[in-house]
Amino acid sequence: MIALIRYGVATFLHSQRYLAPVVLFLGALAIAALNDGGPLLPLYAVISGALFVATSWITVAQLNAEDPVHRAVTIVHAGRSVKVLLAGVCVALLAGFGLVLVGLLGPLLMGHHKVSPADLLLGLAALSTATFTGTAVGLICSRLVIRRPGYSFAVALVGVLSLLLVKGIPPVNAMIRGLSEGLPDIAGLLGYLALSAVLLVTAAVLAQAAVTSRD
Amino acid sequence: MSFRGVSFSGVSKRYRGRRRAVLTDVTLHVRSGEVVSLHGANGSGKSTLLRMMAGLSTPSSGVISGRPEIIGYVPDRFPPGERLSATEYLAHMGRIRGLSTAAVRARAAELLDRLALVGGAHVPLRTLSKGNAQKVTLAQALLVPPELLVLDEPWSGLDASAHQVLGEVIAETAATGGAVVFTDHRESIGQTHATTGYALVDGRLSAAAAASVVSVTIEVPAADYDGLLIQARDRGWRVRR
Repeated sequence: MIALIRYGVATFLHSQRYLAPVVLFLGALAIAALNDGGPLLPLYAVISGALFVATSWITVAQLNAEDPVHRAVTIVHAGRSVKVLLAGVCVALLAGFGLVLVGLLGPLLMGHHKVSPADLLLGLAALSTATFTGTAVGLICSRLVIRRPGYSFAVALVGVLSLLLVKGIPPVNAMIRGLSEGLPDIAGLLGYLALSAVLLVTAAVLAQAAVTSRD
Repeated sequence: MSFRGVSFSGVSKRYRGRRRAVLTDVTLHVRSGEVVSLHGANGSGKSTLLRMMAGLSTPSSGVISGRPEIIGYVPDRFPPGERLSATEYLAHMGRIRGLSTAAVRARAAELLDRLALVGGAHVPLRTLSKGNAQKVTLAQALLVPPELLVLDEPWSGLDASAHQVLGEVIAETAATGGAVVFTDHRESIGQTHATTGYALVDGRLSAAAAASVVSVTIEVPAADYDGLLIQARDRGWRVRR
């Protein structure tokens, strides 16, 4: 599994497809956090929104970076296609959690805030929720599930925008709203985190089902 | 080697959403030590059959049994777009197989040397010519000597010396108790290297009747010659001018 993840990281880094979503996220982070001196939680709400978009994009880019024929060869070496899928998800999560760290600590370096451990923990929960949900959306919109790039883009756009913007939809929109109103509802946040993890597992199961039913 | 052979019994394949079956009721035994050639026109189901051999595709009905653990799979094309170099790519594939980095590097260097990879083991794969990329594709399948070697049109694009190496590799795999299955749309190559030949026509398998070759002389206008030659070769016919 480690060898598969290592290969996934190498392919992804060489493909340079991570650049656009990473730049998008860093740009949003800079706009939101530079010289900011307000409360941290509403800031983490904005950063979570940007991270959700960036991680869904990163996941699609990562899973689509390997050509289907290369993927077939990799599957023969790995023995089972599910291992290759799991490695892909791990690589996407590694990239996502790299950005979680940047999103969590960036505001402390770029602005001037009064920091409490509770703020950091809630921020971590919010950013993790965004990463899990973004990875789940990316899985469903990858070539493994939706073959045609046009459809894939349309589904990604609708999926990301509705989860981000439709009022009260859990986990991302509801979480962002809760945080930006400055009401740290810890139980609620952990609930959204758990829901996002469930979404990710469901998306992975669906993607593997799509892969095996097509072959 | 505990590998005895692979069996297909009554295997059919219909891809989801397609009306036509790609393979119909294929029964085939590939025993250890055997070299099997499959020939057929484009779209006759050869690649699908090989993907099933390699475990990449499951039958819609019928049973495949006896697939060994170590399978080498050489796809019919090695798509460009891979920015890793040949050595890096092979090192990754070997590690996924469970080899150590040192072991896989030594083995990859030996294979690339034997196949005479021109243009460098350290440049990105996508800059290699078709024949050289094909050599890397072949090398990845041989990193661990396979019990079952599955080759999809392996001869296309390879130069003459690599042809010879490929022939040797096939013979060695069979001699050490492995089995080899390959496709080619030219029957002549199959007869040179294979111990058993099959023909696939519209997804149905039949034993290639090597003994019952019929020679037909056809006179055609010179202007039509090239087109007819291509068609005839696609059908696996041998052409003598």
